[in-house]
Amino acid sequence: MKVSVYGCELSGLVTAGALAQTGNEIVALPIGIAKVEDLRQGILPRNEPGLEALVTLQMQEGRLHFEDDWKAGVAHGEVLILSMPSWRLERAEEIIKVIGECAKGDVLVVNQSSFPIGTADRFEAQLKLAFAERGLVANVSVVAMPEFISEGSAINDFVKPDRIVLGSHDLKAIKLVKDLMRPYNRVTDQVKVMSTRAAEYTKYAVNALLATRISLVNELANNAEHFDIDMEEVRQGLGSDHRIGFNYLYPGCGFGGPSFAADVKNLVGTLQSKGYDADLLKAVLSNNESQKEVLFRKAWRFFNTDLKNKTIAVWGLSFKPNTSTVENAPSINTIRAFVEQGAEVRAYDPQAMNDFSEHWTNPHSINMVGDMYEALEGADALVILTEWKAFWNPDFKRMKKQMDNLVIFDGRNIYDPDVVMEQGFRYFGVGRGEVI
Amino acid sequence: MGVESSSAWLALKQHCQQGAGEVHLKTLFDQKNRAEVFSVELDDLFLDYSKNRVTEETLKLLIDLAEQQALPSWIQRLLDGEQVNDTEERPAMHAALRAGGQGVKGEALSVQKDIELEFEKMAGMVSKIRAGQWRGFSGKPITDVVNIGVGGSDLGPLMMTHALQNIKSPIDLHFISSIDGTQTSNLLKKLNQETTLFVLASKSFTTIDTLSNAETAKDWLEEKIEDPQTLLSQHFVGVSTKPEMMTQWGIPHDNQLVFWDWVGGRYSLWSTIGLPIALKVGMDGFREMLQGANIMDSHFGHAPLDQNIPVLMGLIDVWNINFLDIQAKAILPYDARLKYLPSYFEQLVMESNGKSVNREGEAVTYKTCPILWGEVGPNAQHAFYQLLHQGTQAVMCDFIAPVERDDFDRSRTFGTDESLHYQHELAMANCFAQSRVLMLGDAAIPESIKQQFDSPFKHYPGNQPSNTILLKTISPKTLGMLVALYEHKTFVESVIWEINPFDQWGVELGKLIAKETHAAIKDESRADAFDSSTQNLIKRIVK
Repeated sequence: MKVSVYGCELSGLVTAGALAQTGNEIVALPIGIAKVEDLRQGILPRNEPGLEALVTLQMQEGRLHFEDDWKAGVAHGEVLILSMPSWRLERAEEIIKVIGECAKGDVLVVNQSSFPIGTADRFEAQLKLAFAERGLVANVSVVAMPEFISEGSAINDFVKPDRIVLGSHDLKAIKLVKDLMRPYNRVTDQVKVMSTRAAEYTKYAVNALLATRISLVNELANNAEHFDIDMEEVRQGLGSDHRIGFNYLYPGCGFGGPSFAADVKNLVGTLQSKGYDADLLKAVLSNNESQKEVLFRKAWRFFNTDLKNKTIAVWGLSFKPNTSTVENAPSINTIRAFVEQGAEVRAYDPQAMNDFSEHWTNPHSINMVGDMYEALEGADALVILTEWKAFWNPDFKRMKKQMDNLVIFDGRNIYDPDVVMEQGFRYFGVGRGEVI
Repeated sequence: MGVESSSAWLALKQHCQQGAGEVHLKTLFDQKNRAEVFSVELDDLFLDYSKNRVTEETLKLLIDLAEQQALPSWIQRLLDGEQVNDTEERPAMHAALRAGGQGVKGEALSVQKDIELEFEKMAGMVSKIRAGQWRGFSGKPITDVVNIGVGGSDLGPLMMTHALQNIKSPIDLHFISSIDGTQTSNLLKKLNQETTLFVLASKSFTTIDTLSNAETAKDWLEEKIEDPQTLLSQHFVGVSTKPEMMTQWGIPHDNQLVFWDWVGGRYSLWSTIGLPIALKVGMDGFREMLQGANIMDSHFGHAPLDQNIPVLMGLIDVWNINFLDIQAKAILPYDARLKYLPSYFEQLVMESNGKSVNREGEAVTYKTCPILWGEVGPNAQHAFYQLLHQGTQAVMCDFIAPVERDDFDRSRTFGTDESLHYQHELAMANCFAQSRVLMLGDAAIPESIKQQFDSPFKHYPGNQPSNTILLKTISPKTLGMLVALYEHKTFVESVIWEINPFDQWGVELGKLIAKETHAAIKDESRADAFDSSTQNLIKRIVK
């Protein structure tokens, strides 16, 4: 099938690469900062495991082309996919305008982006109006197919989806999109067909539910500390309940990321602007913002409110492992809080140091170091914000040599408190370890 | 010999007796260009003083009086920081606080550096608190700031922050002033120790009202905070002229903001006492307020007397009080955001000029400060306007209103925006209608309905003088201009009356006797020498 993909961020590139892999002829069109020339050379705006190889191979195979001209995309695709970040709605509007102006026949648009509820219906109406004004008689359908990919496992999430949500009233369109997604829908039928608005809402609802779950677990963990309870034990008890399960039960220093947190914020924004209730979700968001500083608060109390000239080592800046993204990550809030109190910060992250520097607008500078142990030099405490695999079993002896003060604040509960305490460290996790 | 027997005063008296005192306002408006002649505009502030019982001749005689009283040189002495507060032997340099280092000389110039240094310290605190980086004992950001202060340390910030309520702030502000503890007890129920910061604002740092409330706040914090050092360093900021007293109370040096004894309490919102204002609108907004006041200062210092807004307002008040025998003044803002403005002006004007001896200590034989009160105009219309329209008191009124509101979108002609626009027009219509009826009385009644008003109970004598002040909008800048205008107009009156507006000995004795009375409540035998009424009252509360 001939498919045009508008958007060359993570979601767009994964979609384009994966669809090319199954034999489709793909034209991908960047709509943001990514440049066609870079993309053609395999330089991608996103660091995602396997993505570069996938894209490069599909270009070599001749099934994936990058183009600048939006009209060329309209001319090429039997299916036009909008796959862009939620804050690019204006760009999507422009693309719909171009399609309305230059399409020559039937148009099938598939929107993967998290735009406000009702956007797909609105786009369809706009296209129909544009066609009517041109006197063009053709079928128009805008299908909502929200993406459920996660950074770090995006390709796998796309090719082995839990489900494919398709929102449309147009049976012909559904048939066509189902056929496009057939290679990823083989073992059992994973396609859930529903109204376009229900499909759009499903995406928001999934993230809202997960965010609420994380925040609730965090609140339970913070309070477990007051009763001297190890939250890890409670987690086992909770997860083994089949109504609850183990996923998304880890307490930690808050969730972040460019889409997950942003989706919940957008949903709250939409609900509030219309005057609807969003009390619980507002609480979830504010609870999460506070949770991002949970380790700072522990350190503040540990050092008796005096962090001036203390050296704080930070391991992990990205909002989760295997990604270079720091958007909405706890690292920004935590490090800002430390430097505002006069602390020196030495930070290390395997991938996200560049992105962090771009997001860091505070006038205080911090030291970025190229090695996890180097970050510990002269440190009064180690703060762990991302559970990169490399941090799980460090050389404790080496750590002890480097650090001035053997204290660990672990925002992801990656250590066994007994083990690190035996090594001579003071250890403070989230709902685990010492209470401060 | 005082001003009352001076030639300029006598000339005004004669002018008054020879008809000017009798002429009705409606007659004065036969002069077609009256509104144009008797109005003046400065930047974002417009004053219409045409609805006063004055003619061009009256104004000329009033200016003669001002010149005779050496007003221009008094203005310069005030602005240059000379010792205009002679009973306390110090200058009154509130204008220096807002000069921003520009256009000042003398003592007012030499204090500029100290002022700027203190504002920089305040700016640091403000940005830290507003950025959520001032931490409570548990490490959470401060979200609520409670100002504990009374009089000037309360009213200025309270009035300003209330007036600027449309400006969004990351910090919720609260004010505690009253000594009885009710405000404190109610407020503390709603706040969380982890996220609350108290500002102790007291010029002397001995004010019992403030310190007793501060002790209650401290007790409340101690319920959650074990370490006394942390309690003080993270949850208290002090603002005072007495750093040593703040230190003694336990406020760490970094948390101390100072101002100086040459800032009168009722003029202190321009100093670090304005901290809550800066927390509300940011340090930039605070500086805009200072700049607004500075526009008025420089106008006051440079404009010719007959074009000088504070001078005109002050002189017309003198005419009303001393020649037309009007002893009451109402402050009537037509915007609920200015709810505390009347209280603020009550303190500013009555604490300044509510005096009966001149600078030499001799009793004056003429009236000085009138009784001043007020209320948000549209509400007052349902309360004391009856007295304004038909009572036996002559009352002069100041109507104050914003030309524009910035809390709705004028371009939108539907929904709430349309309703709010409509309400604003309605408020302005009421403002202008009231001043017109007060001026014209029965003459305002349209011919077509005159019949309906043919009754002694529906008779409106009119002839009540008023000023109307229009502000472009309600903003830090226009409020700065407005408050500075009233400060200076109050000073102008004091110069004519030859009194010192910068001391307040009248409030001292009561404070002293309160201490003695408190001792008697604790130990009833100490009340033996008191009058029987006080003894009796004490008995009723001692159980």
